[in-house]
Parts: sequence; C-alpha cells; structure tokens
Amino acid sequence: MKFRSERDALLDALGIAARAATTRGGAPQALSGVRAEVVGDTLHLAGSDLDLTVQVELPVSATEPGVAVIPAKLATDIVRALEPGAVSVEVDEGEARIAAGRSQFAVRLLASEEFVKLRDPAPDAVTLAAADFADALRQVVPAVSHDEATRPILTGVLMAAEPGGLRLVATDSYRLAVRDLPGQTVLREGQKVLVPGRALGELARVLANAETVTLRLDPEQATFEVGTTRVSTRLIEGEFPNYRQLIPASYPNKLTVGREPLLAAVRRVRLLARENTPVRLNLRPDGLELTAIDPEHGQAREDLDAKYEGAEMVVAFNPQYLIDGVEAATGVEVTLETLDALKPATLRSTEAPDYLYLLMPVRVS
Amino acid sequence: MTATLPEPEPTILHVDMNAFYAAVEVLEDPSLAGKPVIVGGTGDRGVVAACSYEARMFGIRSAMPSTRARRLCPHAVFIPGHFDLYGDYSRRIHEVFKAFTPLVEGIALDEAFLDVAGARRLFGPAASIAHAIRDRIRDDLGLSCSVGAATTKFIAKLASEAAKPTASMKGIEPGLGVKVVEPGDELAFLHPLPVQALWGVGPATFERLSRFGVRTVGELAELPEATLTTALGAATGSHLHALAWARDDRRVEPDRATKSVSHEETYAHDHHELEPLRLETVRMADSVASRLRAHHLAGRTINLKVRFHDFRTITRSRTLPIAVDRGTVIARVAGELLETIDPTSGVRLLGVGVSNLTEDAAEQLTLDDADPAGWTDADRAVDEIRRRFGDRAVGPAALVGRDGLLLRRRGDQQWGPGADD
Repeated sequence: MKFRSERDALLDALGIAARAATTRGGAPQALSGVRAEVVGDTLHLAGSDLDLTVQVELPVSATEPGVAVIPAKLATDIVRALEPGAVSVEVDEGEARIAAGRSQFAVRLLASEEFVKLRDPAPDAVTLAAADFADALRQVVPAVSHDEATRPILTGVLMAAEPGGLRLVATDSYRLAVRDLPGQTVLREGQKVLVPGRALGELARVLANAETVTLRLDPEQATFEVGTTRVSTRLIEGEFPNYRQLIPASYPNKLTVGREPLLAAVRRVRLLARENTPVRLNLRPDGLELTAIDPEHGQAREDLDAKYEGAEMVVAFNPQYLIDGVEAATGVEVTLETLDALKPATLRSTEAPDYLYLLMPVRVS
Repeated sequence: MTATLPEPEPTILHVDMNAFYAAVEVLEDPSLAGKPVIVGGTGDRGVVAACSYEARMFGIRSAMPSTRARRLCPHAVFIPGHFDLYGDYSRRIHEVFKAFTPLVEGIALDEAFLDVAGARRLFGPAASIAHAIRDRIRDDLGLSCSVGAATTKFIAKLASEAAKPTASMKGIEPGLGVKVVEPGDELAFLHPLPVQALWGVGPATFERLSRFGVRTVGELAELPEATLTTALGAATGSHLHALAWARDDRRVEPDRATKSVSHEETYAHDHHELEPLRLETVRMADSVASRLRAHHLAGRTINLKVRFHDFRTITRSRTLPIAVDRGTVIARVAGELLETIDPTSGVRLLGVGVSNLTEDAAEQLTLDDADPAGWTDADRAVDEIRRRFGDRAVGPAALVGRDGLLLRRRGDQQWGPGADD
C-alpha cells in the first residue's frame, strides 16, 4: 500500500475514524487501530469498537493498493505534528512509513486479521435534511444515560415513526428530551429503533456542513451516511420505557421567562451549587427568584423578570440538567410548567412546539 | 512567654456500656434477666461478641471461641445478635451524650469519648456530668454504663475500666460506676496497673517486657526510653514510654457522618462456586439498601469485599453517576463486580457495601418516581411492610426458597456463621 495526500485532509479523515477506535481492556488490540485500505485512488479508513464503526473515504494519489491496521492515536498524533503539505504513507514489512518533508516515521502495524469484518449496510436508504437532524441530535443526545451498568436501554436514543413525522426521544431517568421532525418519514409506520447515543454523538460531529444524511436500517444495525463518512452502529435491543404516560396532559402552574437571561442566571447561581446541591426556583406572581445554598461556602440569589400563573412555590433542580434543557430549547422565550415541587416539570420553547424537555426536580427539605 | 496554660481539669470522659449487646437482649426479652447470655456466632468458627455478667461468672469473656464458651457454661443462652437493634440503642445513647456536649467521638456502638470542657458551666464539674449521663442512660434506656474522667483519653479509658462491675465465681461486684482521675493523680492511678493495661501491649510485647522484669506500668516507666526503643522498636518504644508517663495529647474528634453502610458474612463452609455467592449478593444488597433508606442515606459507590480461603482479601468497587438506595441496583452492580472474581480457591467471607454517601435530603427524583409502576414505590412498600410485619415478611424473589424467605439481616452471622448453616 502506498499513497500521498495533503496533511490537513488526511488528518481530518484520520481524526474522524480514530474516534471509534478503542483501547478498552478485553477488545482485540487491532481495534486500537485504524484500518486503512487503498482501492484505486481512494483511501478507506475505518475505526471500530465492535458496537460503533466509523468509515471515511478520502481521494488520494495512490501508487499501490493494500490493507493495513495502524495504531490510531499514534498515527493521528504523527500526522498532526507534521509540517503542512504532502504526506506519503507506505506500508511494507509490517511497518507503516509516514513521511513529510524531512520527517520520517516507521510505525509497527497491528494484526489486520483481528480487525472487525466491515459489513455492507442495508440497501434500502432514506434521506433526511442534515441541518434538522443535527438540531434534533443536539437537543436530544445530552439526555441519554451514560450508565451502561444499570439500565443499558437508556444509553440509546429512541427513533420512532409518529403520525406525520419522525420522533427522537432520550432519557437518563432524570430528564427526558423529545424532539419531533415533522414530515420526515424515515421509518415505516409504527417502526421504532433504539440507536446508541454515543454513535449519534459521533454522527453529530460530522453533520455540521452536510446537506443530507442517508439512513440505512437492518434488524441489527443502523448506518448513517454523510458525504464520504459512514457511521454504523449496533442497535440496542429491548423496550424503551413508556415515556408518554410521564408527560402530564395539563399543568396548573406556568412560568414564561426569557431563555438567554434564564440560562445566564442559572450559570451564575450554580457557582454556589456544587455536586448534589440543587438550584431552587422560587416561582412567584411577580417573577422568578433563583437561589443556591452551599452549606459550606455560602449562597447565591438572582431575580429574573418572568410571567407566572399558578400557585407560589419553590421547586429545585440539578443545575446542569436545567441548563441542558434551556440550552437545547430554541427561540427567545421558554415556558416551565409544573404540577408541584415533586412532579416532573416540562420545559418548552414558546415558539417551537416540536421540542419538549421533561425534568425531575430535586427533593429538598 | 508570660502566658500560662489554664489549670488542667478532667474534662475528657470515656463512657463504656456494660455488657451492651447482652444487656439489650435482656431489655428486649426480660425472661433472660439474671441468666448467662452470650451474643455471638454459634457455629464452629463463631466467637463471643458480648456476654452478660452472669456469663462472665463462668469465666466467659468476649472474643473467646463460642465452642469454648459452651463448654464453660452449657446452659448459657446463645443469641446470634441483633445488630440493627444495637445500632438503634447506640443512637439513643448518643442522643443522651449530645444533650451534654456536641464533642462526642464514637469508638464503637457501646463506647465513646466526650469532651465536656464547655459543658461545665451548664452542668457542673466533670464528675457531676459523668453521674448525670450515667443516670440518664439508666433512667431513659434501662442500660448501665461505666464512666471514666481524666485529662487525657488514655487515662479516661482506663478509669472507665476501673469503674466497671466485675464478675467472678463468687458473684458480681457492681463497681464504682464513675471513676475520676484528678489532674496530678494520673501516675498514682496508672503505675500500679498491670502493663497489659496499656494500649499496644499484646502478648508478644508483654513477653519481651517480662524479660526486663516489667510487670506494672510503673516498672515500665522506670525503664529508660532508649532501652524500650531498642527492645521494641522506635515507634512502639516511645509510644509506650509516653503512655507510661500518662502523656497522650489526642483530642476528642467529634463524629463525622456515616461513611459507608455494609453487610458482610463469614461462611461455615467456603464457597467454591459463583452461583450461591450471586444469591448472597442479592441478599446483602437488599439488607444494605434497607438500612440506607432507614437512615435517609444513599450512596454512589458500590463495594464488594471477598476474603478467600487463605485470608487474602480483595475489594472491588464501582461508582455510579448518582447516589442509590435501591436493593435491585446495588445487587446488580455487586453481582457484576462478583463476576470478576474467581472463587475456585474458596470464599470464606463476602461483603456488600455502599459508600460515598449523601443525605437524601436533596434527592434527585427520577422519572420512575413519577411513574406509578416504578421501582421506587416498590422499595418504599417493602420498607413499610418490613416496618409493620418484620424483616422476613418480604424480600427479593431470588431469595425465596422451599422453606420460605432466606432473608438475613446484618448481624445474623456477624461473629461467624450460625450452627444451622
């Protein structure tokens, strides 16, 4: 295998594929590498941790085809450190020789036969607008659970066909984010799949400048294609919790407040809300008061202009969870609706009804 | 320097409950009064954790193998122990202490140091406070204790020992109840005591000291420090020399909050396979969770402790994103930690614990709390059922055997397995 490429283009491609590589104990050592294959004038790079596989294609000027698995982190670090300009890569006798200008590296290869077999994705494809999908991921992915041990089901984002569109749902059992994409008929009627949040997080990184994203589904895996990048992931098996019954039909108490001012105020007040200390929202007819009390260090208080209809009450939230929800909402104003201080509160944008964030309070004495 | 230190006063109290576990058992079952009662493991590897003074008349002492105790007094009443109950009484005892001073340092369930320097203006001299505490514990709880008062922790502890009842074949002597060692009298009190009274003098050290003809603390004090450090090593030597001259500058360190809640058991027979141990983790997790909830605590770190046949002990732990108090979650994590160990050489002790505790006063609610069919409600129902009908009324399905629920509470095998295991 032998090819030449521009350093920046090669670094971008390596960086994307290398993020899926894993050094997790128990995984084959080859999975700490990036698989590189030259076919014609195209370099195919792939990184995988068995669950998630990321593939990138890059046009190069190739002089010899071939396959090799190169240590991912080392290769990325080397290419990043090289002078800008042309980089040549040649694989020979168990080594990858990476050279640019007067720098030369010889990196020992990993066993390519240990690398995962790359599967062809399902032939059936649907296409959706990248910008909308990227927005939806930004709003929903922060709510997924990272706790593989206790409830692996919650580490996924539910993608479900709803009448009139596609719905994305994620929850870590403390908050629940729901985003509707009207008009997107990606799935068959009634179909739903559970896609690992980690894969969607990686997908979101490559969606930034794309126009469309193509989804191919088969019973075990989902593949997203964006330009020359392909993100494939195992689907999570199991039944997602019945989240619909958690969303109250109506609320007696409703706060309307500016999104940016609320975000800024929570960020300030949380300076005195350390781990396990909540931010308290004092909901009053004349506005909103935020307080945080850290028994060791002191307290913070901030008043905000807000419109409130309902019974005066204090409700407390984990500040990060609250920030995640307010950040994910769009528009100038958000509403926070609640039944009482121990029931889930619902955060919405006043302008965009397609997003909903359900947040469980913190019980304070 | 013109400043002078204030006159020392005996403001450190050491309160030690008399035959605590046995006394609590008698309170709970008055038919035991006056009988030799032994709390401890009843199986082959069991030891005596505590015994009543009636049992001590037969020469039974704590830490003695249960088999030996049984030979000394075949008609003694053996009780496996009710750890939860002792904990409850201990908390009530601490409430009495806290009424006198916030500076309480618990050493064990039945033993604590109190600094009463600031309490004298309200309650009078240390001796009066010692008597008042003793009376309150007797009147409110029906338990007796011994109190030592001195200028140092070390002398206060020896003083409480000197105030204790004694039991011999002739009968039970009630003891002083309160012993105050006045400032200046420390050496006169200390030096006649046998040298084993000092902390750190075990059989090996005693044997070495005997070669110097040392039998009392006074004789130890007469030895040059250099001789002691040569004979016993630098640390032990200077430590004992300081104690022999009644020098002990440790302060009473008030209790910090509970650090962890755990449940461990020693088995009558080593386990060589994972399957029975999996069941044990479920059992223990359930017990730990119940206690966490009872104390309004939740913890983020789940710990699994395993002691092998050769006494090699390992712990495995995992920290969760939030504090939990649910048996199912603790059992699940403990079970996963268990899968990482190899039991083939034999497991003699297993323990499940939760640390990294927070008070649930600020508890992050979960969507399960909002869901009528959620787990949390099930756990709360379990607590309620146990409160009303007893611990064995309900438990995890995995623990239901042919003879009913195989539930164990902490303390059931605290001091070695029961005879029926």
